[in-house]
Formats: sequence, structure tokens, C-alpha cells
Amino acid sequence: MNPASTKEDHQHSEEQLSLLQTISMEVATASDLASALEVVLREVCEKTGWVIGHAWVSNSDATALDLLVGWYCGDSELKPFKAASEASHFKLGVGLPGRVWESKQPAWVEDIVNDPNFPRSAAARSAGLKTGVAIPILSRRKVIAVLEFFMREARSQNEQLVNVIVAVAAQLGLMMERKRAAEQLSDTNEILQSILSNMGDAVIVADKGGHFLVFNPAAERMFGKGAMQMPFAEWSQRYGIYLADKITPFPHDQLPLARSIRGEEVDNVEMFVRHERAPHGLWTEITGRPLRGANGDVLGGVIVCRDITQVKEEEFFRAGQSGVLEMIAADAPLGDVLTSLVLLMEGQAEGLRCSILLLNHDGKHVRHGAAPNLPEAYVKAVNGAPIGPRNGSCGTAMYRRRPVVVTDVMTDPLWADYRELAKICGLRACWSTPILSAQGDVLGSFAMYREENRGPLPDETRLTQIATHIAGIAIERQRQQEILREREARINLAAESADLAFWILYPGQNAAWMSEKGRLIYGFDSELPLTCDLLLSRVHPDERADVKAAYDRACALSGTFESEHRLLLPYGRTRWVIMRGRCLKDEEGNLLETIGVTLDVSAQKQADLQLQHQREEMAHRNRVSLMGEMTASFAHELNQPLTAIANTASAARRFIERGNIDPALLQQLLQDMVADSQRAGEVIRGIRSLVRKETSVHTLLDLNSVITETVRLVSTDVLSRESVVTTELDPQLPQVKATLVQIQQVLLNLIINALDAMEGLPPAERRIIISTRSDKGDVVEVSVRDFGTGLPKDRPDKVFDHFFSTKQKGMGMGLAIVRSIIEAHGGTIVGENAPDRGASMIVRLPAVRGQTQTIAAA
Amino acid sequence: MNPNQADEREVCLVDDDLSVLKSMHYLLASEGLKVRTFNKAEDFLSHASTHHVPVVVTDIWMDQVTGLEVLARLCAISPKTRVIVITAREDLAARATAMAIGPVAFFMKPFNDEKFIAAVRDALGQGRK
Repeated sequence: MNPASTKEDHQHSEEQLSLLQTISMEVATASDLASALEVVLREVCEKTGWVIGHAWVSNSDATALDLLVGWYCGDSELKPFKAASEASHFKLGVGLPGRVWESKQPAWVEDIVNDPNFPRSAAARSAGLKTGVAIPILSRRKVIAVLEFFMREARSQNEQLVNVIVAVAAQLGLMMERKRAAEQLSDTNEILQSILSNMGDAVIVADKGGHFLVFNPAAERMFGKGAMQMPFAEWSQRYGIYLADKITPFPHDQLPLARSIRGEEVDNVEMFVRHERAPHGLWTEITGRPLRGANGDVLGGVIVCRDITQVKEEEFFRAGQSGVLEMIAADAPLGDVLTSLVLLMEGQAEGLRCSILLLNHDGKHVRHGAAPNLPEAYVKAVNGAPIGPRNGSCGTAMYRRRPVVVTDVMTDPLWADYRELAKICGLRACWSTPILSAQGDVLGSFAMYREENRGPLPDETRLTQIATHIAGIAIERQRQQEILREREARINLAAESADLAFWILYPGQNAAWMSEKGRLIYGFDSELPLTCDLLLSRVHPDERADVKAAYDRACALSGTFESEHRLLLPYGRTRWVIMRGRCLKDEEGNLLETIGVTLDVSAQKQADLQLQHQREEMAHRNRVSLMGEMTASFAHELNQPLTAIANTASAARRFIERGNIDPALLQQLLQDMVADSQRAGEVIRGIRSLVRKETSVHTLLDLNSVITETVRLVSTDVLSRESVVTTELDPQLPQVKATLVQIQQVLLNLIINALDAMEGLPPAERRIIISTRSDKGDVVEVSVRDFGTGLPKDRPDKVFDHFFSTKQKGMGMGLAIVRSIIEAHGGTIVGENAPDRGASMIVRLPAVRGQTQTIAAA
Repeated sequence: MNPNQADEREVCLVDDDLSVLKSMHYLLASEGLKVRTFNKAEDFLSHASTHHVPVVVTDIWMDQVTGLEVLARLCAISPKTRVIVITAREDLAARATAMAIGPVAFFMKPFNDEKFIAAVRDALGQGRK
């Protein structure tokens, strides 16, 4: 550095100070970097003797320096250099600015024209420039601009001058840094403001004291007014904030903003908002967060409120539909269901009124369903109206089975008959849609009314679809219930009058259900819980095992069972019942339940028993009277052994009296007497068995043997009547299942009748032929043929009637009893007159299959 | 047996009931009487046609032939044979018929042994011992 006088130094210092002050002030007030640089360049040039000042800044991609601002000292000779500079773009290290950009150090060039790294040297020569200096402006150790000055004089590096410019550059660097930060800050704010203004969600920010810092336009719209300063406690009231019941003001300490200011994180709180700008109210869902400072202290809170009114209304509408469906499921009265449905629909649109009409069972007239908001006069007038092609919207819709839209009831021909009524009620438009069942039958109609002339909007059409669907379900269900109730009533009536008990057994749970009549039949108290075991315990002990077995068998096969048995009721009463049941299984074959009926047949059974008793009594009397017919046979049968015994005993006594008896002979005599006594016993037993009152005991019988034995039994009487009985027995005759005594009784009756029928004949002609045969193998036929007077010609089977008799002494019961016996055995008996003379009585009994008996066994 | 040397004291018994037949045989045998028994009327009739039969005791109710028929035929074959009828059944008509044919005695089964034996002895013409 050159030595300088103190005075000069002082003067220079003064100038420099003044320069810095000027620059500081100018820069501080400059609006942007370019104007600040311009001031700096001018001031430096004017105050320190430079003719050109340039400010270079890097281009946008930081590959080169471009000229931003230039200051020229009026001289037109400088213009070529200005042009050359403006056209220059210096890369790192190139030219004077590039070299400073690279080194980040000031550079002083005494002779720029001859400098090897000065591309503008030609322009500099023509402009007469000699000395150049360039100084970097640094910000955070980065070169943000390069200042460049030129003069015509050749001047060596002046330390002081450089320092002044460096100081200016430093100040510029600071200033630019500040400016850039401010610019950035301002940009961020603008973005934020823009976001907040355009956001659909309401955003409110408040500080710790509850002062609103942000209250965006959406928030103003949502809450009806902008930010106002007021205590927390007044927020709910002033902004119209309510709980979900739409009435209770939201507790101020629970408001999401208040909570977030207290440091809580608040998620998805729903609230209802209503104020003069939203009289129907709206629903909002709020999320809140506290705002914290760098040290973590809560500075305030922010909430974001989303309008969920539409979602909420859709939700309410769906809940309303569910409510109506639940009413249907709970079998609420149809009128209530339909009224709820109409109210729900009306709530979905402003100024909408609806009605539901039902079609009568006759299919020709309508009746009132629901119309809670239509005038009573209108409802009354419509009730009972006929349907048809020109019967208002509803009557026509039901008639046509498709929707009818009338936009003006005052002019539409369909409304000709109802115009005055509509006018009184203030109805202008009416759109009606038929309600159809699942099968497509018209059940009724759903109508929408408006007080303005227009057709339905898409939303209203959608409502109609929902309403008709739900109404259809409700009406159809009610009709089914009616049918069910009717059917149930009919079944109950039938059951009550038929003495029928209904029951269901649930074997899995050992539970049972029984109709009232059933409890009566089984003697169960109406309150007593029933079980399967309890039911079984009522079955008479003698029959319980059989009933249980039949039931178990049915369960195993999942089939049906039927059982006739006695019930043993408390106090020893008995009842005859027939029980029929069916087992039901699920898809996997598990037994679900057994359903069935029990029929009380006690009265019938009693009558049956009485009848059977009477029949047995009659049969018995018949047998007793048969005994009378057979006295000869019995007397003979009994007298023979008695005679033998008497003779033998008498002989024995005589032998003994004579004292010469052979002990072997005596033993023989005694043995014979024993045998004859036994024979007499047999005869008496035979008689007793015929006379005894005994119930039927079916055993397997060989009819041939029975016939042979019976003929033998009656043989004496046959002889005494000078008659002959011959038999023609089929050796292959199958067996039958029958009660021996009863079959003997039948044969005796037939034989004695035959003998009676032949009394008037000469003895030689008194013949009876008893034959058996089995042509088909499944029926055994016994024929008793006589040659007597024959049967009544007009009606041979009259002989089987009670009290029919051709005999003077006969009661006329014999053949009637015979027939009842044969029929009780599942057989038949017919009487036929033979072609020549006499009659045949033909008995047919079911054969036991696979059972044949040869005559040899008889 | 030589048919011509018929035993004057032989009593014929006819009854289709074997035990009755046997018991009458015992009874008469106990009195020391000779007895010939027939289980079938036909057998007796053929015997009577070849032998002298002084006395026959017969049932009149038998399976194959009625006693009355037997009596009628016996009358023809051996008119001198004395007949004693026994029956197990009270039958006035039969009794009257039998008496018409001419039996010496008529007994209802069972009968008194003394009277029966007496009747048989009477018939044999031996009188009381």
C-alpha cells in the first residue's frame, strides 16, 4: 500500500464513512436487490472515481454469472463495453467476475486490456479503460453477487479503496440475506392464507386466551359469523353449537377448541350447529390439536371442522328405514308402521307430504293406509273410493299397475273428480306409485304431494322406490299374518272339537310343548313345564315300554309312528288315546323334534269295549244254548266212561268177594277205571271250555282237525237225528290264526242249523257235507252243505241278521253271532242255495302263509 | 270153534266203545259168565249168522249202524236170541222201537250192576243161582 498523508487519510476516512452511511440508508430503504445494487454502484463510482460499476449475479441454474445492473459515467464511449458486458456470461474462473466467483476474494487488475483472463479486452481498449476491480458479496460464505468497477487511469491496487467496497459488499450481503428471508416468510404466509381461504373444512386457531388467530371463510360459513372476541363460555350459545340431541347447548368446557387449548388431542367429535344462516342446522365432525411453542408449552389450539350433514342425514334416513323394518318384524299394527314410513319420507325433503292407500281384498276399492299430514277431509273422501283408469293419481296407479305423475291436479283429467278437494287441501302435484307384492299383486299405492306444479326430482323418485318397497313388505307381512292367524284359529277350532292334542317333543333338550287341549288330555297343569320324560310317564305302565320302543324306532328311521295306548292319569283315571307323530331331522340328520297329535278315543273305546262285551255275552249265550242242542252227544260222551267205570268197579268188587282175584287182573281193572275217569274229565273240560266266558286267544289252528273233533263231539246228536255228516278235507289246507272255541262254536252252529233244516226229510236224505279247500293258498274255505229247505230265496244273507229265525224255538242269534265271530277273525261268511236243493254256508278265513298241514296230522 | 257146538252160556257183548265193552266183559266175567265181545255190529251179525247166540247185550247208538238196525237184522238171522239193550241216551222213541222188536231188558248207561247181571242170567235161562 502506498504511503498517504494523514490529512488525505483523514479525508478518505470521512468520505468512506459518509459513503457507508449513504449506502446503508439507501440499501435499507431499497425495495429490492436490483435497486439497492444500483444505488451502491452509483454511490461508489461517484464517491471514489470509477466510471463503470457492474453487479453480476449467478443465473438460475448457477452455471454462469450474468449482468444484473450496470452504472456508467455518462460517456457514450463506454457503450460498446456495456454491450459486451451485457452479452457476457462468465463461468466459474472465467474473466474478472468468474475469477472472483471462484476465489471468493477481491481481484485488482491494473491493465485489463493486456490481462490474459479478460475476454472483454477489445471492448475495454476501445472504451479506454485501464484498471478494474471486482469484489464478491458473500452470504453465509457463498458468493451471491460480484461487484465490478473500471476506470480509465492505470492505477495500482489501493488497499483503502478495496476495503471501502468490501465493507459495502458485506453490508449488501447482510441486507440481501435479510431480504431473502423476509421474502421467503412472506411467501409461506401467502400460501397458508390461500389454503385456509379455499379450504372446504373450517379451520379455527385460537391462542391460550381464547383469542381467535385464524377463522377461515369455511368456519365463518359453518358458524354463521366470523371471529368475535368473547369468553369461552359464550362460544356454544353465540355460534349455535349443540349436542346430538340438537337442543342441549354444547358444554363450553367440552368444546374441541377449548380442549385442544388445554393441551388435549381431540378426534372426531360430532356436534350439531344451528344459527340464522343455517336454520335447519348442520352436522360437523371436529378434530383438534394443541399448538405448542419451541419449548413445548401450549400456546393455543387449532380445530378442523368437517361438514358431515349429508352423511349424517343419510345415516338417519337409513336408521329410520331400519326402524320401520323393525316395527314390521315386531308385528306392530300396520297403520303405525305405514305412518312411521310416511313421516320418515316426509322428513327427507322440504315441503313434501306423502300418503299410503291400501287396495281392498276385492281388488276394486281403496282404503286408508297412512297420511299423517294430509287434511282429514281429504283422507275421509279418498277412503273407500274405487280404482279405475281416471281415478286420481292413486286409483289410476293401482289400476294401471304403474306410476302416475300428475304435475297439476287442477288441469289433469285424471283428477276431474277430485279437483275441488285438492284445491281445498292446497295440493297441486301428486305422483303415485303402486305398491306390489313379491308376486306382483297390487297391494296399495304410495303418493307424494306438493304445493307447486312439478314432477318428482331424482331424489324423490329414489324415496318413492324405498317407500313402496318397505310398504310392500309391511302390507304383505300383515296379510300373511292374517292368513296365519286364520289358519291357526281354524286348526285350533278343529283340534278343540276333535279332542286333538298338539305336541312337539325336543328330545335333545328333553323339552316338550303341548296345546291347551293336550294338557287337558294328559292331565298337566297349564303352567307346568313339560319334558319328554314327563309325557312318557303318563303312558300306562303296561304299555310304556311298547310306546317308547315305537317312538325310538320312528326316531331312528326319522319316520312316523302311531300307537294306541292307555294313559294313566293322576288319581288312577285312565284314558285311551291314539298318538301319531313324525320325526323331523336337520340336513345333517340330527333329530330336531317330533311333532304330532294325540287323539282322545276313550269314549269310542268305551263303546267298543261295551260292544265287544255284549258280543261276547251273546256268543256265550249262544254256546250255552248250543249245549242244550247237544245234550244227546254230551250225555253219551259222559255216560260212556261213567258206565265203564261203574262196570269195572262193580266187577272188581265181585272178584274180591269171590276171593279168588288175580292181583294182576285187579291192577288192570283199577288202571282202566283211572283211564275212564280221565276220559270223563276230558268230556267235562270240553263242555266247560265251550260254555266258559273267555276272551279271544288266537292260536295257529288246523281247521281239518278242528272239524274232525267237532263232528265227533256232535256225533251222537247227528245219530239221534238219523243224519249223517261226511267230511271232504283238503290235505294241503294252510293253518289259520283263530280262537279254537269260537271256531268250534261256528261249526256247531252251522251243523245244528243244517240238522234243523233237514228235520222234515226222510232219514236217508239227511246228509251234511263239510268240506275244506284252499285254492289260492291265502284263503281257507270251509263249506257246510246240507240238503234241507234252503235259505230265503229273496235274500239269502238275511239269515245273518239278528233275530232272524225260521225255527220256533230259535232266538235267531246263531248266524248273527257266527258272522260276528268270522268277521272278528278277518274272514267272511256267505250263504248260498245249492242248485238242486239245500244250502251251503261258506266260511272264508285268511290263511297263515307258509303253514300247511297234512290230514295225517289231524 | 265149532259153530254147531255153540256154548249155551256164552253172552255176546256189542259196543263200539271199547272201554264200555271191556268193562261189561269184566262185570260178566266176575260172575263167571262166558263172554264174547264185538266192537263192531257187523262182526257180531256175521258171528250170529254162523253161531247160536243165546243172549246179546248191545248198545243201540253206534257210529256205523244204529242199534235198532242191528236188532232188526238179528231178528231175521237169529230170532231166538234174547236181546238186552243198553243206551247212553234217554230217547223215548228209540226205546219204544226197541221194545217193539222185543228185547228182554233195557238199561240206561250207567246201570245198576246187580239188575244187569240178573237180567243177563234171566236171559240165559239159568235163573238165580
